[in-house]
Amino acid sequence: MAGLDRLQTTAERRTPWWRRAIDGVLPPVLLLVVLVAAWQAYTVIAQPRPDLAPGPLDVAAALGEAWDDGRLQLAISTSLERGVLGFLIAVAVGTPLGLLLAEWAPLRRALGPLISGLQVLPSVAWVPAAILWFGLSDATVYFVVLMGAIPSIVNGLVAGVAQVPPQLRRVGTVLGASRFELAASVVLPAALPGYLAGLKQGWAFSWRSLMAAEIIAFGGSIGFGVGSLLQQGRDLADLASVLGTILVILAIGVVIELLVFAPVERGMLRRRGLTGGTP
Amino acid sequence: MTAAPAIRLTGVGKQYAADGPVVLDGIDLSVAPGEFACLLGASGCGKSTLLSLIAGLEQPSTGTIEVDGRAAVMFQEASLLPWLSARRNVELALRFGDAGLARPARRARALELLDLVHLADAADKRPHELSGGMRQRVALARALAQDRSVLLMDEPFAALDAITRDLLHEELERVWRETGRTIVFVTHNVREAARLGQRVLLMSSRPGRIVNEWRIADDGPRRIESPTVSELSVEITEHLRREIRRNAA
Repeated sequence: MAGLDRLQTTAERRTPWWRRAIDGVLPPVLLLVVLVAAWQAYTVIAQPRPDLAPGPLDVAAALGEAWDDGRLQLAISTSLERGVLGFLIAVAVGTPLGLLLAEWAPLRRALGPLISGLQVLPSVAWVPAAILWFGLSDATVYFVVLMGAIPSIVNGLVAGVAQVPPQLRRVGTVLGASRFELAASVVLPAALPGYLAGLKQGWAFSWRSLMAAEIIAFGGSIGFGVGSLLQQGRDLADLASVLGTILVILAIGVVIELLVFAPVERGMLRRRGLTGGTP
Repeated sequence: MTAAPAIRLTGVGKQYAADGPVVLDGIDLSVAPGEFACLLGASGCGKSTLLSLIAGLEQPSTGTIEVDGRAAVMFQEASLLPWLSARRNVELALRFGDAGLARPARRARALELLDLVHLADAADKRPHELSGGMRQRVALARALAQDRSVLLMDEPFAALDAITRDLLHEELERVWRETGRTIVFVTHNVREAARLGQRVLLMSSRPGRIVNEWRIADDGPRRIESPTVSELSVEITEHLRREIRRNAA
């Protein structure tokens, strides 16, 4: 038997971390360099009006200026704090709600369409209502963020539970699991991929909703976030600053994906042997 | 046999809907403690349903089923939890329900059982790192972990290649002799039934009934290519074909 076992299994080959880092980082960085170089070449050769098509150097200068007077750091820390806190609240609310919906069919039938509808509804649509309810305060921002993120998290979890193979539940029952043991040790871990996809989308919706809320709701007791920075650039007709801020928003999204979600997802897929053909 | 049977079925019938087809009809069967019984039949004859009834996963429409304690079950797919290592999968059976062992005891017992199926070296591997045959042996260890006297097996080797299956027959027979379990083994493979069972029960289709049975003198392990197995296979196949022809008419 041992001989056959040896023949039928292959040792898992794991590439070293630095190799994986280079493979993952190099292509996007190269692309970025090429794009910026092309942009710079365009400004140098075509000489467009700098107020309509600022070059990379103008954008960098605008960002540097915002950094020097502290607006950039303030905006990033304010927005990140709100985004992360809002997302965590959404997880705390969405997870039990999703579990309840997944395990209790009548509630799912009743509430499911509404949750799916909310997921499609752009959460910016809530901004005017939120301003009327909560005024220009942080509550407005958080309300919009939660309305954006919670439906995605709930839907992800419900879909994850729905995709648990019935055979796994059957095995749990045969092994003598109680209802609670079945949920905690079999169904929930099996639903993890769907849940994680929901969390990822939930974060994306949080971040988008936050930016929208910060752009629209400006002033009052609302702090100064990245969206506010963007709005300020627009008021001053400072295109370099506007483009720079867009790049900052984009960069934060990419960094969170690379540092938080990608490693968690990769680890989970690898543990389950779901990496497929990707190295 | 004087001892009380490990499994006793009396007049068991199964019908999923009142106007639906009769899946099982008038099954009388008793399996002695420590016996290895093979339930043989064509696809769709209701042998898996019968096993589900004995396992208590479904209720019979008529008749009674008595099982000595509850039964452990092994399916055609290993159905291991893909996020747990082989050892943790076996430990699961030691943690759930009435088993409830403490963690160190679970760990030790799981390793012992994996050693029994010659998988001690693979204890920390996850299911996707194991071959199909190894996964089935982990499933066997997990079924044994439940420490129930009756083990029900629903075509557990059907998805494996012939070489692996042949070796697993030896493993299963050894484990059976070492642990003294009562085994009911469902299969549609005549040779497999003749190779493994002390008793082979032939089922007819629609309605599922036990139509014939063979007892095989247990004079130690026999090989699938041995004359005894071949002769018995020929005889059983004849009966099986007759049953199938009867359905065509």
